[in-house]
This record gives sequence, C-alpha cells and structure tokens, in this order.
Amino acid sequence: MSGQVAGTEQVISERLMAKARLLLEGRRPAEALPLLERLHHLDHVPAPAREARAIALLAMGRFGDAADAAGEALACLPGSAALLQLRGRARLAMGHDIEALDDAAAAVMADSGSNDAKGLMAEALMKLGKADEAIFLAWRVAEALPQDMHAQLRLAQAFIMAGRHAAADELLAALEARAPQLALPIALRAQNKLLMHDAAEAERMTRAALDRGMVEVSLHSVLAHALVAQQRLHEAGAHFRAASRLAPHDAYLAHLADASAGGTPERATDAYVSAVFDGYAGRFEAELLGMGYRVPGLIRLAVDRWLAEAGQATIPGPVLDLGCGTGLVGVALLGLTGAGLCGVDLSRNMIAQTLAKGIYTELHQAEFSAALAAIQTRYALVAAADLFCYFGDLEDALLAAAARLADAGLMMFSVELSAEPGGWQLGESGRYRHSLAYVTSALQQSGLTALSIAPETLRQNGGEPVEGLFVIARRQVC
Amino acid sequence: MSAALQSAFAAGIEALSRDDPAAAVPLLEQALASGEGGAYAALNLGMALTALARFNAAEPHLRAALLALPELPEPGIRLGVIAATRGDAAAARACYETVLRRHPQHVPALAGLAALAEQAGQLAQASALVARARLVEPDEPELDAVAARLALAGNSAAGAVLLAEAVLHRRPAHVAAAQLLARALLRDLSPPEALARLAAHAAAAPLSPAWALAQGYAHVELDQLAPAIAAFQLADALEPENPDILGEFGRLLAQQDRPEEALPALLPALAARPANLDYRNLASTLMWRRHRYAEMVALLQEGIAEFGPHPTLNLNLALVLNAQGRQQEALAAAEASVAHAPGNIPALVNRIAVLPYHETQGTAAKLAAAAAEIAAALPATPPLPAVARAPKPRLKLGLLSGGFGIHPVGWLTLAGLEALPEDRFEVTAYSLKPRRDALNARFRARAARWREVTDPDDAALAQQIRADEIDILIDMGGYGDTGRPFVLTHRPAALQLKWVGSQFSTTGLPGVDFMLTDRWETPAGFEPLYSERLLRLPDGYICYLPPSYAPPVSALPALRNGHVTFGCFNNLAKLTPAVLRLWARLLREMPSARLVIRTHALSDPGTRALTRDRFAAAGLPLDRMELHGGCPHTEMLAGYTAIDVALDPFPYTGGLTVCEALYMGVPVVTLTGDSFASRHALSHLSNVGLPDWVATDAEGYLARAHQAAADLPALAALRAGLRQRVSASPLCDAPRFGANLAAALEAAWAAA
Repeated sequence: MSGQVAGTEQVISERLMAKARLLLEGRRPAEALPLLERLHHLDHVPAPAREARAIALLAMGRFGDAADAAGEALACLPGSAALLQLRGRARLAMGHDIEALDDAAAAVMADSGSNDAKGLMAEALMKLGKADEAIFLAWRVAEALPQDMHAQLRLAQAFIMAGRHAAADELLAALEARAPQLALPIALRAQNKLLMHDAAEAERMTRAALDRGMVEVSLHSVLAHALVAQQRLHEAGAHFRAASRLAPHDAYLAHLADASAGGTPERATDAYVSAVFDGYAGRFEAELLGMGYRVPGLIRLAVDRWLAEAGQATIPGPVLDLGCGTGLVGVALLGLTGAGLCGVDLSRNMIAQTLAKGIYTELHQAEFSAALAAIQTRYALVAAADLFCYFGDLEDALLAAAARLADAGLMMFSVELSAEPGGWQLGESGRYRHSLAYVTSALQQSGLTALSIAPETLRQNGGEPVEGLFVIARRQVC
Repeated sequence: MSAALQSAFAAGIEALSRDDPAAAVPLLEQALASGEGGAYAALNLGMALTALARFNAAEPHLRAALLALPELPEPGIRLGVIAATRGDAAAARACYETVLRRHPQHVPALAGLAALAEQAGQLAQASALVARARLVEPDEPELDAVAARLALAGNSAAGAVLLAEAVLHRRPAHVAAAQLLARALLRDLSPPEALARLAAHAAAAPLSPAWALAQGYAHVELDQLAPAIAAFQLADALEPENPDILGEFGRLLAQQDRPEEALPALLPALAARPANLDYRNLASTLMWRRHRYAEMVALLQEGIAEFGPHPTLNLNLALVLNAQGRQQEALAAAEASVAHAPGNIPALVNRIAVLPYHETQGTAAKLAAAAAEIAAALPATPPLPAVARAPKPRLKLGLLSGGFGIHPVGWLTLAGLEALPEDRFEVTAYSLKPRRDALNARFRARAARWREVTDPDDAALAQQIRADEIDILIDMGGYGDTGRPFVLTHRPAALQLKWVGSQFSTTGLPGVDFMLTDRWETPAGFEPLYSERLLRLPDGYICYLPPSYAPPVSALPALRNGHVTFGCFNNLAKLTPAVLRLWARLLREMPSARLVIRTHALSDPGTRALTRDRFAAAGLPLDRMELHGGCPHTEMLAGYTAIDVALDPFPYTGGLTVCEALYMGVPVVTLTGDSFASRHALSHLSNVGLPDWVATDAEGYLARAHQAAADLPALAALRAGLRQRVSASPLCDAPRFGANLAAALEAAWAAA
C-alpha cells in the first residue's frame, strides 16, 4: 500500500515538474513557482525541482530568495556550474558584485566551455570596474555566439566602459544594421556618441528611432541627456517625462522628470543640473558615479552662476581638478573648460578611467602635495570634490592649493560636516569630518576668503544622506 | 427478443455506469425502439440525455418513465433538475415534492428543495431540509457542502470553514467547497491569516488539489488575478482533466486576456457541463476573439435551443451574426432580446451596437431613437456634486478607453494627443483593457498618469475620476465591447465629451456634453440628431498616425494587369446585401474587373463558406474575386499594392480602413448617408482634398468607380502622389490637430 502511495506521489511529482518546466519555458515563472513549492514540501525533493525553483525566483525578481534557493540546491549538488551561475546572477542583481564574481569564476572553472558563465563573469567584472578583463571575456563569448544579441551588446557595453568608443560604435552600428527593429543597440550607440561628446549625433540617432515608431525608455532617456549636453534643457524635459512615464518605478528618471518640469528656465536649469549629476548619464554611467553623488553638480552650478555674473561663456583660464577620480568634475564642466583641464589623482585605475573619457587635457597620477609642488600653472579654478574627507588638518592642503590659484581664481571644495562644534573628527567610515568653525578658520589661515559656505547633502550612503559643506573661496587680496 | 438487442440495453446501462452518457444514448435509443428494457430504457435514455444537457430530448422519455414507473424517484428528480436549470422553480419544486410524498427520506429531493429554498432566500427552510437529508446520509460530503454554504449565508463563517474543510479532506477536488472555504476564511480572518491557514494545509498535504483550489479562490476574492491563476495552474496539475477545475481556470485565463489557453480549458469543461451557461457564453466570447464565428454561432444556437432564449446567449448571437455579415438576422436577434426583456440595458446596448450596420435601419434618426431608449432605461443616477468650471491655465484631461494601443482608437488619436500641449493639458489615461504594444507605450509616454481600470463598477470608476480632479473627461469607448459610457452619467468631470471609439452615432446619454466632430461628419442642421452639443474641429475629427512600417506605394496595378482591381478590406459586418448587389452590378458592367476582399473573418472556414454563398446569391462573380483572411498588419497594407481602387461599404463606412487605403495610394469610392458611421469616409476623403470620390447615391457610386477605371493615367498620377498628399494634409498634421484640439477643448471649457 505504501508502495502504491509512493508510486502515485512519483507520478504526480513528475507531472508537476513537467508542467513547471513548460511554464518556465513559457516565461510564466510566477505560475511555475507554486508547483515547485509543493515539490519543495515533499519528503524527497527532486533535484531538478530545486534548480527550477531558483530559476523561477530569479525570473520573478526575488533575488535574495533565488540566491538562497540556488545555495540550497548547491548544497545537494556542489560545484554545479548551472547553480553557481544562478546564484551569481541573483547576487549580481542584488549588487553583491564580489560574491557574484566568485560564483561566476567558479562556474567558469566548473564548465570552461560555458559561454553563459563567461558572460556572467564579464558582467560581474564590469560592475566591479574591471573593464579590460570584462572585455576579454565578453569578447570570447561574443566571438563564440556571433548571433547572440545579448552577448554582442555586453561586449559593446564593456567597450564603452573601457573608453574604447570607436570599437563600441563599430560593433553597435553592425548590431543596429542587423536588427534595426531593436531599440537597445541604437540607445547604446547614441549613449556612446554622447560620451564621445557628439551630442548632436546622439540626438539624431535617438530621434530617428523614435520617429520610426520605436518606443523605449532608453531612447527617451539618452535623447534627453543629449539635449542637456547641448544646453537645450526645455526640450529635454519632454523626453525625461516620457522616459519616466514608461518606467514609472525608476526613481532616477522620476527625479529628472520632476526637475525638468520646474517653473522658470533658470530654476529648472539649477534643479536640472543638480538632478543630472545625482546620477549623471543614466543607465550606463550610474555605477561609475556612486549613488546620488552631487558634488560635481554643485560645482557645475556654482561655475554657471560665476560665468553668468562675469558674462563669460567659458572658465577664464585653466582648471585644476584635485582628486579627480573617474573624472566626474570634468564631465560636469563639459564645454566650459576651454583653457585646459588638469586632473590629479593617486589611483592608477582612476586615472585610467578618467583618461578614457578624453575630457582632461592633462593628467597626473601623483600624491596631492607632490603634484601641487610640481605644477607651476596658475588656475582660474581649483576644484577638490570629495577630497578633503581624506584630510584631517586642512591648512596645509588649502595653502598649497591656494598657491596654484590665479589672482581672480576660485577654489571650490566639499567637506563632510562634523556634528561636533570645533575641529575635525575621524568618522567610523574612515573619513574625516570637519566643523563649520574649523573650515572657516582654516580658510583664513590659508590665505583664502570664503565667498560661500553652504550646507549641502553630498550624497547618499546606505540610504542615509551624507551632510557636508560646499565651499567657494578666492585668494585674499593683499 | 434477440441477443443483439438485449446487449444494446445492457451496453447502454454499462456506458451510463462508466459515466459516458454520450455512448449510452444511441444504445438506449436502439433498445427503446425495439422495446427492450421496457420503461427502463426510456428512463435511462432520459437520464443520459439529461446528463448531456439535452433537456428537450430528455423530457418526453422521463415523462414516459414517470407514468410507467411511478414508484421510482429518478424520473421526478431528473425532471426537477431540468426545470430548476431552466429557472422554473415552481415546476422543480412540484417534481421534488411529488417524489418526497412517496419517498420522504429521498436525499436528492431534499437537497433539490433546499437549493430552491436557498435561491428564494429562505435560508432557515433550506437549512432544515439539509439537516433532514444529513440525518439520512450523515457521511455525504455534498450535503456538508450545502450545509457549509448555508452556514456562510447565515453568517456562521467559522462553522462554514469547518464544514468546507471536512468536505475537502474527503473530496480534495471539490471546487464548490474550496470556494466556500476561501470565502468563509476571508470572512472570519484577515487576508494574511486566511492565506497562512491555507498554506499550512498545503504544506501538510502538498499533493492535494484542495488547498490549491482554496488558495486560488481566496486570491479571486481578493481581486488578485495573477496569483489566482497560478493557484489554478497548480490545481489543474494536481487534478488534471477535472471539468470544474478546468472551467474555473478557463474563466480566470479569459479574464487575464489569454484566450489561447482559456478556450482549451473551457471547451472540455463545457462538454462535461453543457448546462453551464457561463462556460458557454465565455467560450463563445473566446471564439469571437479568435474569429471562430461559425463555431460560435453553433454553440450559441445550441444553447438557445436547449436552455431557452437566455439574454446573454442572444446578445452574443446578435454580435456574431453581425460579424458574419448577417445584419438582418443580427438585428432580429437583438430585437428579440429587447422584446424578451424590455428596458434591459445590455439588450438595448446590444441593439445599438448592431444597428448602424443595417442597410435600412442604420440611419441617424433610428440610432438617435435607440440611444434615447438606452438613456430612458437607465436607472436614476445621482450625479456627483457639481464642480464649477473656473478658468485654468492647465486643464486636467481624462481619457477613458480600452483602445490605447494598436487599435483604431490608437491610430486615429495618438498623434493628435501627443501634439496636445503638455503645459496646457495634464493627461490621465483610464485604460479599460490592458495592452502592451508600441502604440500603448506611446500613450503611456504621453499620459502623466496611467490607471488600469479593473473595477467593473461604474460608480467606483466615476469616484476615482472625481478624486483625480479631472476637468475634462473624454469617452473613447462608447458602446463598443470594452466601452464604459455610463461612467459619464455619474458626472465625474465638469465637462464630458464623446470622441473616437465606437463613435457611430449620438450616445443619447445625459452626461455627455459635447461630441467631437467636424463639418463633414455633422454639418450644420444635424444638431437634432444628437443629444450632445457638436464641437466641430476645423479640419477632420481625427488625426491619422500612419504606421512606420507601411510598405511603399506601388505603381498602379491596372497598368501591368490590363484590368482594374477593386478592393475592400473592411470587416464583413459592413458588407450589407445592398453593398453586395451594387458591387455585383459594377462587376457586371466591367467584365474584366476583379474584386479582392480581405478581412479576418474569412479565415474562419465556416464563415468563408457562408460568405461565398452570400456573394454568389447577390450575383457577384466568384471567379473574378479573391477572398483573403486575416494577416499581419504590414501584410494587409501590402495587399493594397494589388488594388487600384478601394470600394467602401455602406451605411457603416470605413474609418481607419479609408486612411490606410489612402496612405497606400489607393483612392476610395464611398457612398455617404446621414449617420455618423456613414460619414467617416466622407470626412477623411474631404480632409485630404478628395471630396469628389464621395457619392450620395448608388448611381453616383457606380459612376465614380467607372470614371476612375476609365482614366488609368489620371489614376496612376493620383496614386503616385497620394501618400505625400495624405502626409501633408490635415489628416496627418499632428501639430495642427493638437493645436486645434487644444483650442476646441479650452473653448468648450470656457463655454457656459
């Protein structure tokens, strides 16, 4: 009798599994899941049901559950390349990039012929900013799967990320010709043009696609950014709105759409530029920027006001960007640095990424004070975005920076604000925080006059705002 | 009595015992004819036919058995079931009571009477009858299920839960008990608690369908369609081929707009439960969606023959007959529904939906009268509190439609709405049908707010619109199949208009202030035919968005063919006998000319055969005609490369079809009437500067077709420049249309 029951149970299990497979193939993971959950409740869970359950959860966007389900399945089937990939994908989607890379690498080790595993590894590497290694893997996959659009697009994204814009353009042009009905190659190519400073071409491409009746968030978003880059903020608003309406849960686009809808042009411009640099250049550049990092946008706003008051179109002299990182200040000041832009950063990788942007006329991989000692140029603007959080005492640093200012030059920098009344503290994060009184005093000590010291939210950290001061100063006139 | 005949009766009984009444019927008929089995043959034949829901056939056999075998309860019970299914409660009660007089303990008779009492709202009486039955058969789960239902109706949710759970433990695929359990749990507990209780059951018995069914119904109760469908997928996998599960599953799939999966679930359910009118109507509407018109007609006619002229069966029949081009029969069916249930709103709406197609009855005056009858039959709806129309720099515009996508509403309004100034109009879309296509995405990109409407209650939707503070509400669905025009009678917005979307006549509705129109659709003097004020746009009343994928215009086919090819790509509902007769005359007068008909209904083999017969009867030369079925849009547009001149039907003229023909370089000969529907082509042709293609009588129509065919160089020249002409005309000039629409809406807002 118990044998009969077990036999019946097996028949039903097999039927559930077969139907769940069909539903997963038909892209109905939410309908497959209850079947798989029932199998999960059985005393002897069939091994394929464990994997299928992870697949369903991943497809439903329940990434944490999917990672757990894949982990559970891996416990029963250690070293399975398919399960490692599943967990890696879930982890990547959760932003657990290093763990995702570990899984992807293990999957490649377990099955060296798996293009999916290599593709996943390329994506994890991209997330971690390792563009060259990503290209290597993405290239291998794209070569092995020449008809796979996803693989080709991944390679193009890696090219873009590495700053190899010409290669990306060539590849994307070929993809566009092959599948003219797809919006993504066009949007990505236009995005690449934008990064190549050809906003007009980016605009032409996206407009042409929209005119052909294609409707896609990315087309509207890139077009809007292309219009911003051409200072056509009013026109951009409609496309930020369209993008936001097509992706109503995207907070980034909602922010831009709201900002672009604001009252007078001047106000809209301010809100708009801040918004743009809350996560500039949207989908593809966001990871480079860190979430909600506003200081480059604040610098841009300040420079815009300065130039408007001076009646000038561009900064009247060269610009020095201290701690230039990946070059976000350069991006923010795009079109305003006619007399040259020099970047200084300690990190070789950062300098490499900045170089790839092709915005800076001069780059030094050097320690801050050494670089300042070596440089002889006097600058119309010295910017230090998110640099002084690595300094306790500011006097020497400010003194050295002030020495590089031209007579009418401006210094702009940010510090994280200390809650304590005086001096500075080293925070738990390893970053220094400075008080308003201390910054004011350090400016005086360094021969700088504060034009403005404004409290600002510098960025978001784990969902919490990081409060700081944004300072504009000039050399004291003797 | 031969051995063979003996075996016919025995085989019939055997077929019945294995629940195969269809196999039993011919055997028992054979037995009855030969006298074998006596009155038992009649009784069993009657029972088999009842099981197949062939009530008309079953009844005489059951009556014969009742007379011959008065001591047996079965004939009376079956006759009671038939009467109850037909809604004749008094007759059913009489049958059951007769049985009970001889057999006071007869459980089915007690249960039948209990069901009748329950239907009549006599819950105490029903409960007493069920209690009597349960004393006789304490272990019968069906009686527990009825008791559970009565407990729930009597506000004893906790008791209902226990009873329903008891039924499900014994009969895990008992669909009705699962539904009761879900309802009772949700009455007794909060939704998370109810779902948790069901999940606990499921974890304890993972392969039982009972808890999947109850979970499915709980999600249905909570208006959560997707998880409900997922639960029924599971129930179907656990208990395959169960007709009750399949029926419910099919119903939910249909709700989620998945006709390809819903129909294969519903058809076996209907085969097993032929008396279930919901399944029958739902299956018929799914067939409608798949253009399986001939099958749909058969299904509905069978239902009407067996179960009487149920209103929904009749309404669906009218629609499908119309879609097959049988306008007279359609209107007759619709009129029968109206006569059967005077003042019934769905019947009146059904009639106005088929009326504009009718060749003699589809006039503006008749349509206005039909619309007025709807308005008169509407229950008094207290309007929402009035709001003042104050001047505003930016008006909130609400659009109400199921056509925001690849649909005539999309092609004829989207470009104009995109051009409506954003800074003067904030658009909210109330979407009455979920869609996901390229045009839908553009609608979404245009609308500041998007609301997918799922609540079928008009008053609730009106409240939502009022809560959204909509200033101007435009109905873009009308009396069409997804339309909700009665929302406007609640007066959710201060200004309310009718525009594209089954815009074939006046709505007749008190809440509709204006109709968006033009000087060709409704010239001066047409006002008495409309209950709305006429808001005439300076050009045409629509703005056509040509598809980006339209193939290029070809050279005139007549030049290479040596003969003229006429074409009509409108649906069959528009091809009236008068149209067919006129075309037959044209083709007689032009012996080398050919005619191409292309429409999705011709993909249906039954409808195609019927249509060929209609064409032949009208004198059309089938050997000079091509009949094509449905095809992808690009291919349909490409079909115009083989057409020299398009022939428009009447009185319901082409709308989008005319725009498409013109964009493909094909001019359209039309015959105009006085209804809105009969003037669509006139509006579009006039809007592109081709008013000379519009006839006002049949002779003029023929003359225009002859004239076109007689001067092929002129026709070729017109064709070569027609796309450019259309594109440059106000018909496609979105910025111009947007500006005009904005001005018209603002003027209407300002008007007292």
